[in-house]
Amino acid sequence: MIHIGPNTSSKIVSKGICSGKSKNTYRGYVGINAKAMGSRNYSQCDSLLIGNLCNSNTFPFISVQNSTTKIEHEATTSKVSEEQIFYCLQRGISTEKAISLIISGFCDEVYMNLPLEFSFEADYLLTLKIEGSVG
Amino acid sequence: MTTENLVLEIKDLKASVNNINILKGLNLKIYNGEIHAIMGPNGSGKSTFSKVVAGHPAYKIVSGNIFFLGTDISELEPEERAHRGIFLAFQYPVEIPGVTNDEFLMLAYNSKLIAQNKPEIDMLKMYKILADKLKIIDMSENFLTRNVNEGFSGGEKKRNEILQMLLL
Repeated sequence: MIHIGPNTSSKIVSKGICSGKSKNTYRGYVGINAKAMGSRNYSQCDSLLIGNLCNSNTFPFISVQNSTTKIEHEATTSKVSEEQIFYCLQRGISTEKAISLIISGFCDEVYMNLPLEFSFEADYLLTLKIEGSVG
Repeated sequence: MTTENLVLEIKDLKASVNNINILKGLNLKIYNGEIHAIMGPNGSGKSTFSKVVAGHPAYKIVSGNIFFLGTDISELEPEERAHRGIFLAFQYPVEIPGVTNDEFLMLAYNSKLIAQNKPEIDMLKMYKILADKLKIIDMSENFLTRNVNEGFSGGEKKRNEILQMLLL
């Protein structure tokens, strides 16, 4: 994300889901030029881990060349815990449905901004991808 | 008391967690209409017992059986036990971020219907059922659009457990 003009604003939302032995890395560059006075950027990186063997990293690169810019970066990592799964199981929801429920919840913020058909498709594809990957 | 009225029967139940034996031969019979309270000092295995009955995967049954309405459920998966009518009100209800209460309740309710070979119901019918249940425990409808237990106060979490209990 490169800011050139003054009073510009941007928002980056990154959501990563790791299962099995996968690694997820976010690298994002936010550059604010000298003339982009009063600019704003907000970056948010969330990761969801499924299982104990995966990991997730966040490397934000920020370069600011003026003093009136506001930059925010936020990162969260959460794990699908055994307790969450058990809670769903105890309410009669199967493990696979429970995980796809938790994943849909995690991605909800992104889905809301997608066109309806596309978000439906994305949700379905994610569920397929995760199927069978959780032991 | 006849055996027909027997709801839950525990026979010489021994269970462990992380290879530490917690329950050392428990026997219990609960008949229809009875309410039992299990009391004991901290760490005496009360919570362990309830989790074993619900089928928590971290708790291993070493020996003994759990009979619920005449069938042995000690080998069943937790969701199968739930479908048969075992309900555990959690001491610390778990938060599920981003998942709204109505989505969660709907999925749980439909899972149970599928297990009973009944057709699933849609959101509109679900809302009718939920509206009745909400009245019983005097909660407002905006409870449903909040995320499961996220940011709930202690009392709200417990009420949510009661709502689920009424529904399932």
